[in-house]
Amino acid sequence: MAAKLNLSGPPDSDTSSPNDQSVSSRSSNRSLRVADKERRKNEADDPFVLALKYFSDVEAGTPVYGNDDVERNMVLVEKVAYSKGLSPETISIMLEFAMSLRMGTILCPRVLKCLIPATVVPQEAVVRAFVWLGVGKIPVSTQILFIKWVLTVFDMIDAKDQLRAIYGFIFSFVTEENLCPFICHLLYLLTRKESVRVFRVRKLLELQSKLGRQPFLLNLLSLYKVFCPELVTLSIPSRIKSVFRNHNMPWRSALIAVQKRDGSQAASSISLASTIQDKTNPRKRKHCHLVLPALCSVVNKEAQIEPSSSRKVVPLVQLHSFDQLLENMHRIELPAQMGSLLGSSLALQYLDCVQDESALLRLNFWLGYALHEEFLFCGDGGASQNSEEALQFLNKLLSTQHFLQEGFSSSEAFLYKFLNVWDGSLLRPQILGLLSNIPVIPSSQIRLLLFEPLMQLFFTSSLFFKCGLMECLNNMLLKWLTWHSVYALEDDLDISLNSHTSINMTLSGFKDSVMELVDFVGRLASVGLQLEGCHSLLLSFILDFYETVCDTFLKYGLPLVVIPPTGVFYPALFASDPVSVDRLAYIMYRYKVNLTSAKSQEKEQAFHISRQTFREFNHYATVMVNCLWNSKMFQPGMGIQLGEELLLKSNVPQYWASFDLVHHPAFMSYAVDFHQKCWPGRKDMDLNSIKHSKPWSWYLEYLFSQGYDGLKQFVQSNISRQKAAGDGQGNSLST
Amino acid sequence: MSLLKPFSKLPGLCTANILLVESEEQFQQSLADALVEETAVTVNVRLAKSLPLPMENEESRPRIDLVVFIINLTSELSFQSAEASLKYLDPGYFLGKVCFMVTNARNASVPTERLDAVRKLAASLNCPLLFAEDQTPDGVTNATERLLTILKVAAGLVPMATALYLSNLTRCTVPPDIDQPSFD
Repeated sequence: MAAKLNLSGPPDSDTSSPNDQSVSSRSSNRSLRVADKERRKNEADDPFVLALKYFSDVEAGTPVYGNDDVERNMVLVEKVAYSKGLSPETISIMLEFAMSLRMGTILCPRVLKCLIPATVVPQEAVVRAFVWLGVGKIPVSTQILFIKWVLTVFDMIDAKDQLRAIYGFIFSFVTEENLCPFICHLLYLLTRKESVRVFRVRKLLELQSKLGRQPFLLNLLSLYKVFCPELVTLSIPSRIKSVFRNHNMPWRSALIAVQKRDGSQAASSISLASTIQDKTNPRKRKHCHLVLPALCSVVNKEAQIEPSSSRKVVPLVQLHSFDQLLENMHRIELPAQMGSLLGSSLALQYLDCVQDESALLRLNFWLGYALHEEFLFCGDGGASQNSEEALQFLNKLLSTQHFLQEGFSSSEAFLYKFLNVWDGSLLRPQILGLLSNIPVIPSSQIRLLLFEPLMQLFFTSSLFFKCGLMECLNNMLLKWLTWHSVYALEDDLDISLNSHTSINMTLSGFKDSVMELVDFVGRLASVGLQLEGCHSLLLSFILDFYETVCDTFLKYGLPLVVIPPTGVFYPALFASDPVSVDRLAYIMYRYKVNLTSAKSQEKEQAFHISRQTFREFNHYATVMVNCLWNSKMFQPGMGIQLGEELLLKSNVPQYWASFDLVHHPAFMSYAVDFHQKCWPGRKDMDLNSIKHSKPWSWYLEYLFSQGYDGLKQFVQSNISRQKAAGDGQGNSLST
Repeated sequence: MSLLKPFSKLPGLCTANILLVESEEQFQQSLADALVEETAVTVNVRLAKSLPLPMENEESRPRIDLVVFIINLTSELSFQSAEASLKYLDPGYFLGKVCFMVTNARNASVPTERLDAVRKLAASLNCPLLFAEDQTPDGVTNATERLLTILKVAAGLVPMATALYLSNLTRCTVPPDIDQPSFD
C-alpha cells in the first residue's frame, strides 16, 4: 500500500530511498494526508501494529520464558500471517528481529515459519538477513531453515540485483557441509554469466572431490558449464539423477492458501482453520495451483529510472511487439517466475531464438518441478478437484511445445515416470500429446523407458486407447523424421537433434531408434489386431502409421525401409472394407517407389538397404498380385498355405479365386453393381464373366472411378498388361 | 482352507467370473457395480476380503476366471494382506489368471519402497500390474474396462487368445531403475 502511494506521489518522493517511506515525507497532497491521518489513527489502536512495534523495538537480551508480551504478540503475528499473509514491511521487521537473535535462538525458527508474504518480500530484508547469517551465532538448523525460506519465497522477492551483488558472499557458505545443498540451489537461481569465475569452479570441484558426485553440485556445475564451457572441463552426465529437492515443507501450503484466497475472495473461516491445521501437520500438502503466473517485472524501480546505468536491462513484460523484442534482444531480463513464459508468445519467441541456455534450463527446472508436484506427488492421492486447472495447464504446455516445435526435457522425464503409474485414462489426450513430442530416445533405453509401460497399457486397455496410442506413436515418428530431415548435417553422419538439449546422435544411432520404434509398433499392431478381431478402426490407425513408414526414404531422406509384419499385411489385405485394401495398395506402391529410388542411389550415396527387405517386399507384392489379380490363392510358395484336402473339404467353389478383385469381400458389392450395369438384361449373375478381357478392364476403370487411387497406382506400377488381361506379372524388383 | 483351482469346474456359456480381493473393501464395491453392467457377456463378480475363501459356499461357487488383488498403496496392511492371500491360489492361476490393481500410486504419502515391493511381487509372479484412479468416476470406468479386457481373455471369450498369451504381453517387468532426472 505504502509503496503504491509512493509511486503515484509527486516526483520528489521518488528520490527518497524506499527504506524511509515515512508517512510524513508525503505532504503535498492534501487528501492523501487526510487519508493517512485516518489510517494512522486506526493503526494506533490496531493490536497488530503494536505487536510489530514491540518486535522492532524490543531490546536485546529480553528473556523469552515467562514473557507474556512476546507470546501474545507472536500469536498475533502468526494469526495474520496464516490468514492474510504479511506485508513487505512486516516481513522486514520480523526477519530482522529473528535473525538478529535479539531474544535468543529459541524464537528464531518460529518466526521464520510464519513469514508468509502477502505480496512481495523486500530484497533489502533478505540481504540484511544474509549479513546476520555471517555473524555466526545462529544454529545450523536455523540457518538451513532460513535458506529454505528464501528458496520458497524466491519468486516473491521484489528484485534480485542486490542479492546478485552479494553472490560471492552467499557462495562462501558453500563450504559448510550442512548448508551446501541449499546454498547450491540458491546459487543456481542467482547465477548469471558474470558470476561464473575460475576460483568458484575450482572450489566446487574441490568440494565435489570431498563430498562425492553430489547432484546439487553437479547441477550448479552444469549451469556454470552452460555459461562458460571453457571454465568447466568436467564431463557432466546428460541425465543427472536428481535435481534440487523441494524445500517447501512449512510454508508452501500456507503460502498457496494465502495466494488462493487473494485470488478468489471467497475467504472464509473454514479455510483459515484448514491452513492452521496444515501448519500442525507439515507433511500434508495442499494442491498447489497450476495457474500460470502472470508475466511481471522484477527489475528494481531504481534501475529503470537511472539512465546512466551501463547495463540497462529490459523486462520482457515491457515489450509488446516483435520489433521491440529484436531491438532489446541483448538486454532482456527474464522474469523471476519462469512459468510465466509459457503464457506469452513473445517470450517464447525469445526463448526460441536466443542462444542463452540458462533461460531454458530455468524453465525446465520449474516445469519439471511443477509437473512432478502436481501429477506424481499429489496431496490427496489424485482426487483432483482441480482437474480443470490441470487440463488447462497441460494444454498450455502442449501449445507451447507446438510453438517451439520441440518438447521440454523436463516434460520428457516426467512422462517416463508418469507412464509407470498411469491408468491410461487420466488426461489421456494431453498425455498422449506430450508423449508424441518427446525427442529421439537412444535405442538402448527406448525399451525400458517407453516400450515396457506402453505395452502393458496397450494390451489391457480399450480399443479407443489402442487407436489413440497408435496415433500418438505415428505423430512421434513423424516428428523424429522431421527433426532428422531438418537437422541432418551435410555429411549425413552426425545429426544434432533438438538444438537446445544438444543430444547428439549418429545417423546409425538414429536409425536404430527409428527401427526400434517401427518394430515395436509392428508388434503392437499385429497382436492388437488379433485381440480386437481385426477391428477396422484400429486397422485404419495402423495403416496411418505405415503410410509414414513407407515414405521414410523419399520424404525424409532416411535410408531406412521397414516392411510391415505379416500380422498387419494380411489383415489389411483380407479386410472387409475396400478402404483398407486400397490404403494397403497405396502403401505397397509407395514402398516400391522408395525401394526403387533407394536402389538406384545406393551406389553413389554409400548406404545399404538389406536384401532381406527387398525380398520381403517382393514376396508381399507377389502375394497381392496373385491374390487380387491372378486368382491364385493358396498356391505353394505363398504366405498362406492350406492342405489341398482341407480346401476341398470346405466346399468353397473355386477357392483360388475367392480373394480376387471380383470375389474379395471388400469389392464384391462393386462387382455386383458393375455386373448389373454392364449386363442389365441378364437374370442370372455370373461374376466370373467379369474376368474376360474386355469387361475386366472396364471393371478396373469402374473401380478406379470410385476413388480407389491407391489400387490404381498399385496396379499401374506393378502389373504390365501388354498381354491378355489376367496374365499380370509379379513384381520385377530383383534382389 | 483350500486352494482355489482354475480348472476344477466347468465354465458356463458366455459367462465370465471374476473375484475381487481387497482387504479394505472400499474400491471393490464400486468396481463390482460397474463390472456387472457389461452386456456382451454375463459377468459374475465375487468379492472377498482375503483368501482362502470359506468352505461353505464351495459347491455353489462358479469357476473363477480371474483373481484381482486390489492394493491400496497408502496402506501397508493392504499389501501384506494381498501377499498373504497369494498362497491360497493354485499355481495354475499364475498362468495369466491373476492380476494386481493398485490405487493411490500418485499419492505423496506413499513410500517409493512400497510401490517397488508391489512391482517386484507382480514381476516375480509374471502378473500384470494395473494402476487405477479410484477416486474419480472416469477412473473407475476405465479400471472396469481394463479388467473386462483381461477377464474376457481369461474366460476364453476372445478367439485366438488365451490368458497365458495375454499375460505374456502385459506382465509386469522388473521395477525400472531409470537413470533420469527426478524431482523428489
